[in-house]
Amino acid sequence: MLCGIDVGGTHTDAVLIGPDGVVACAKLPTNHDDLLASIREALASIAAVAGPAAVTRLTLSTTLTTNAIIEGTADPVGVLVSGGPGIDPAAYAMGAYYHVLAGAIDHRGRQTGALDLDAARAVINAWEAAGVRAFAAVTKFSTRCPDQELALEALLAGRCDCVSLGHAFSGRLGFGRRIATACLNSAVWRVYNRFCDAVERSAAELGMAGASINVLKADGGTMPLSVSRTLPVQSILSGPAASVMGIIAVCDIAEDSIILDIGGTTTDIAVFAAGAPLIENEGIAIAGRPTLVRALRTRSIGVGGDSAITVSREAIQVGPRRLGPPMALGGPVPTLVDALNIQNVIAVGDPRASYQGILAVATANGFEPEEVAEAAILNAVNQIRSEVAAFVREINDRPVYTIFELLEGRQVRPTRVYVMGGPALALSALLQDAFTQEVVVPESFAVANAIGAALARPTFSVELFADTASGRLTIPSLGITRQVADNYSQAAAEGEAATSLRHYLASIGAEAEDAPIETVELSSFPMVEGQTLVGHNIRVACQVRPGVSAAYKQAVSKSC
Amino acid sequence: MLKARHPLAIVFFPAYDWAISPTHPERQERLLYTQDQLREEGVFDIAGITELKPELATATDVLRAHFCFPDVAAVTTTSHLISAGGAIRAARTVLDKEAKRAFALVRPPGHHAMKVVHGARGFCNINIEAVMLEWLRDQYGPLRAAIVDTDCHHGDGTQDIYWNDPDTLFISLHQDGRTLYPGTGFPLELGGPKALGTTVNVPLPPGTSDEGFLFAMREVVMPLIEDFKPDIIINSAGQDNHFSDPITDMAFSAQGYARLTEMLGADIAVLEGGYSIQGALPYVNLGLVLSMAGLDYSHVREPDFDAAKVRQSAKVTGYIEDVCRDILKEARHPRGPGKGDVVAGWFTRRKTLYYDTDAITEYQTEAVRLCDHCRGVVKYETESTRTPLCLGVEAPIGACEKCVEEAYRIYEAGQIKGEYRHLQLIDRVGKNYATYTG
Repeated sequence: MLCGIDVGGTHTDAVLIGPDGVVACAKLPTNHDDLLASIREALASIAAVAGPAAVTRLTLSTTLTTNAIIEGTADPVGVLVSGGPGIDPAAYAMGAYYHVLAGAIDHRGRQTGALDLDAARAVINAWEAAGVRAFAAVTKFSTRCPDQELALEALLAGRCDCVSLGHAFSGRLGFGRRIATACLNSAVWRVYNRFCDAVERSAAELGMAGASINVLKADGGTMPLSVSRTLPVQSILSGPAASVMGIIAVCDIAEDSIILDIGGTTTDIAVFAAGAPLIENEGIAIAGRPTLVRALRTRSIGVGGDSAITVSREAIQVGPRRLGPPMALGGPVPTLVDALNIQNVIAVGDPRASYQGILAVATANGFEPEEVAEAAILNAVNQIRSEVAAFVREINDRPVYTIFELLEGRQVRPTRVYVMGGPALALSALLQDAFTQEVVVPESFAVANAIGAALARPTFSVELFADTASGRLTIPSLGITRQVADNYSQAAAEGEAATSLRHYLASIGAEAEDAPIETVELSSFPMVEGQTLVGHNIRVACQVRPGVSAAYKQAVSKSC
Repeated sequence: MLKARHPLAIVFFPAYDWAISPTHPERQERLLYTQDQLREEGVFDIAGITELKPELATATDVLRAHFCFPDVAAVTTTSHLISAGGAIRAARTVLDKEAKRAFALVRPPGHHAMKVVHGARGFCNINIEAVMLEWLRDQYGPLRAAIVDTDCHHGDGTQDIYWNDPDTLFISLHQDGRTLYPGTGFPLELGGPKALGTTVNVPLPPGTSDEGFLFAMREVVMPLIEDFKPDIIINSAGQDNHFSDPITDMAFSAQGYARLTEMLGADIAVLEGGYSIQGALPYVNLGLVLSMAGLDYSHVREPDFDAAKVRQSAKVTGYIEDVCRDILKEARHPRGPGKGDVVAGWFTRRKTLYYDTDAITEYQTEAVRLCDHCRGVVKYETESTRTPLCLGVEAPIGACEKCVEEAYRIYEAGQIKGEYRHLQLIDRVGKNYATYTG
């Protein structure tokens, strides 16, 4: 049976799913200072119902790495970069140990400037003396030629706890993102590995030694705990992914749709194209720094149940600020929940407190309290509607690079809006008025996010780059660099990318039928010098899209 | 993190599925390395820089700027309409104040396309800057515009389109026409009788490097722009003055281009030529983008750049100084329209034009009515080795009642007379664009 645990900001949810459905579930308050304790407690409550041996696969979604980065408790990292011509690498500096070395690689992967290894040695000596144990080495265009990063790794061998190399995370371009990704990976490496040790120990103590342990990523996919030990940065910001994967598991989403998760502070919007969630083009940002970590494409607006209502004679506005809980629950200012309360859409806490609060702001501006409540609810619904429209427009207006795509490119046209979260049912009728699409409120499921974690399947992506004129092929995220013949073709490249991805997935224990591989990018450019064809520049990207285990989906899905 | 001082919109459209022919300089691969460089540098992650998708220009957008014979469909492909539409999207973003500046990094180029179009010349079918500018004027009202063409080849198409327009200052910096295609762009080409001094040509000798280009900018281009006081500055940003370009002989660098861009401060830049796709374009385009956005570009340089090796000779420096002095004087005090005759109140020029890309020869007579109240109606009688005699008539923006009437009279008389195969009318006053096939 599959177990999923989602350690959220407020609650830790756990669920155990067997072939016939949910066997056990638990909802516990999260212990912020000891996430492991929360996980242990959740695991113990599952084991108490079904017995520890029942768990064959355990998937965790935790805020550990996210918290370490956002709260600044991660380790200092010695960051060695070489940039060559372009934007001054000082723009991407991270932390107190950041050094730019001479050295350059161009867009085709040719070394156009030698790496200054003597300078690197001196810097490493100094940082080692200062007690730096975690390192990152990143060069521009290392996805086209990782040699300079590998040379830096060799210098660091045996002298530190970890070295993160830029090209290991993705084959996508983005020097600044690569620096941030590698640096954050090393920063959380120690704390994350300690956590993994403790999780493995706890599982063994509880008698779950036979279970494979996996970690949820921000793209809604999983990776084995053993893999995540070297790529801990891939575990950041997995919370929203757990909710989205939960909806996929519970509802049978087949068409283009919108998912609205209306929470206390925000409404999160996700978009599905043909039943699969859209992935962020480049990668997710954390602590203001864009990274190469793949994530579901979501958008958040400051409209939720606890969003404050601001009233003036001209306008009545909900959010974006949250100044505390609703007045019905003892909060300081009226919120959307208070407005829904006095309109009798819901009954939360003390409705009289809601009425008094809204009455006060209404009379101060010459309104009736019901007018304010109605306008506030309408404003919240309209904000959500216009944000959804802008989001879909932005998705459909994404840049394309061929005439074919410009004329024939697929457009996302949502036909359904799924609404989740506390105020979902309360707002559904109004949302139905606002949207032309069918609005669906799935039967509430308290631990949908844990179900998402439990059933999510592995994801991975590879980018292959072949330049037959210079005879070089790289698949950066798999560490593959090799010579390539001049008759290497686009079809061969597509096959090689898919095969390499399949082999990798097999090596980490993913089941093949669970991981359909698709090609998302495929191009081959004839390279001409003078008037002569000298080779081809071939690019392939393959991925396993996020999804849920088909075998168990049946067990949990309801008609939505 | 980086933040653009001038919010910049980039319309990037490399047309990865379009080429003139497999090994032609205008081929799929042209902007591949530029895109790689911009993405690797993280340009689109910079706060204040946004990437936009082009629109598709319509046939009416083309007919506002050109006479197309036999018709628009015959002389354009979708790629040209996207390229022009990309320029329009860039310009709209600036006029709607969604960005301070915009760069249309699109292909194919357009600056060799003239007022009358029978086919492709110099890799160009329609003039994307002109289609864009006339769209702007149609949407936002009359604008005084300066177009500065920094492509290595003379912008003969843009010059031809704005030859009689006193509200468009066209300045072209280019390799001397005695040494390079299209063989025009000399200092005494200064505009038609009603627009004298609003066409300016600065031919530069082969081997001109950063010093020469920046001297010409400082001493000729910027003072003339200051005199003209444009509402909008457009840069036809060709990149083939680069020292590594395979089809030209100049010695300009990425740093030089970035400094030129900073000096000019264009609102809208539109990519033109530039065929050193690995050694120049990635660096020149990066320099342009950073410069337009008001960001530091001092680290942008070509891997093999050696300033001493490409620096212009003292002789070239001296020559450029002399030429620039003369050009500024001529442009400010033009001595009168060049080649042409006054026939019954019309100023008439005869042109023989060769379309190298499509191997077409065109024979054309352009006549502008010498009107006391406006710029004057313009008519073109044209035939080519591909299309028999055609007529184009334009009542320009601000045309007086008499000139508009005259335009319709000529257009209708042309239809009755029956000696023209195709006729086209551009009425910018009534926004009427008509075509007729006899």
